Amino acid sequence: MSSLAGRLRAIPTWQVTLFVALLALGFLVAAQARSEAPRVRYTTQERAPLVETVVGLQAQQDALKAQILDLRSRITASEEGTVGSTQQVRDLNAALLAARVAAGIVALEGPGIVLQLEDSQVSVPAGAAATDYRVSARDLQAVVEELWLAGAEAISINGERIVPTAAIVDIGGSVLVNSAYLAPPYQVAAIGPGDLYGVLAASPGFVDLVRARVDPFGIRISSAQPKTVTVPAYAGSVTLRYARPPAPSPTPAP
Amino acid sequence: MRQPRSQIALALVALLLGLLVVVQLRAQQAGTGLETQSSQDLTLLIANLTTRNDQLRGDAADLQRQLAALDTARAGGETSLGQLRSDLERVRLWAGIDAASGSGIRVLVLGGVSARAISDLVNELRNAGAEAISVGGVRVVAGTVAAGPPGALSIENTALGARIEVLAIGNPASLTGALTRAGGIVAQIQATNDEAQVEVTPLDGVVVPATERALVPTLGKPRP
Repeated sequence: MSSLAGRLRAIPTWQVTLFVALLALGFLVAAQARSEAPRVRYTTQERAPLVETVVGLQAQQDALKAQILDLRSRITASEEGTVGSTQQVRDLNAALLAARVAAGIVALEGPGIVLQLEDSQVSVPAGAAATDYRVSARDLQAVVEELWLAGAEAISINGERIVPTAAIVDIGGSVLVNSAYLAPPYQVAAIGPGDLYGVLAASPGFVDLVRARVDPFGIRISSAQPKTVTVPAYAGSVTLRYARPPAPSPTPAP
Repeated sequence: MRQPRSQIALALVALLLGLLVVVQLRAQQAGTGLETQSSQDLTLLIANLTTRNDQLRGDAADLQRQLAALDTARAGGETSLGQLRSDLERVRLWAGIDAASGSGIRVLVLGGVSARAISDLVNELRNAGAEAISVGGVRVVAGTVAAGPPGALSIENTALGARIEVLAIGNPASLTGALTRAGGIVAQIQATNDEAQVEVTPLDGVVVPATERALVPTLGKPRP
């Protein structure tokens, strides 16, 4: 019984199994605890109907967006089949497609990068603001602006296209873009030249962002360079209630 | 004696293990972030989603009418060139390809503010429903960004100087209200910069120029 082999044999197999299981348990508990920080999970009973309402409204919104995209493609098809002077119609349709592409209501694909921003995994020290440890609308706005300055030609965040009217605002620790609710991790997809990431990473604004948010608070920023990046079409309102062409119009639209 | 007890212990551990695996997987899958929102935030979110969905419903109805009108015109053998033209005009205005005019506000920003202040101001105007915006005579489209050190800002290669005029087309009352509310963007700019002065004036007629930016992508291809 003095040899190691003998001692090992003396340990019952159930103890070994239990040991392995407990080890796995420990890992999972740790993983669970880590994934909780720094966000607090609310588990009170009265929240359940609220969460259900939100989920329902989001499903409605997704359906409405799909309906809008479908209607737009049917309108485009109908317009292309418009009767009249064929050359005139062809010119108008070409101008419409160009305007729609410029407006961001057509999906684009091309070379580019995807940046991912995630909340910090650092547990919030006593007395510190929990919001500092989460990705904020300001962080996303800064990333989007640095991408534009670095030469991006189209950007989306979690599928929401950045259009001329796109506001990025905080809402209770998450973010609204184009009034759509987005939750972390935030994936910022940008179509741009091959050196987009290099230019971005070297820009003073991006360096400042890393210095202000990544180093002190542990906000996580990672990047990927897939073969093609897809930036979806904007599926919201292109309706104008106040804006008109300046009158008198010196040159009517062609 | 030992054998049954060990089995009970193992069964308990296995039960806990299974539970934790499921919880962990769910937490990673769900990813809606909703479980981390307070009741107050959820209520705010519901209000936002409801407004947005109403808007989208209106948009869908508009598009439906547009499509119906197009189809009717086609069926009757009429020309719908007029509809194509008005559609084109609307999209070009919205995208910033053409100049726009309408009611709105003028915001004068004085005192060498930061690029971030201008960016926050534009974001607030967008959030308040501005339909067209210009900064220092430059139309703000998706990719228009103010940059540079405070007092020496530039936007699309145009120097902004110490007196920055921001114009926005939209509902003058809601735009003014959004900017000048307590704790709003005007208060924030003035709180972070002692010399900053921000004047907001509602106007009946505002003219915002067309963008000079090339909006046609050279790398991105339209996806069918």
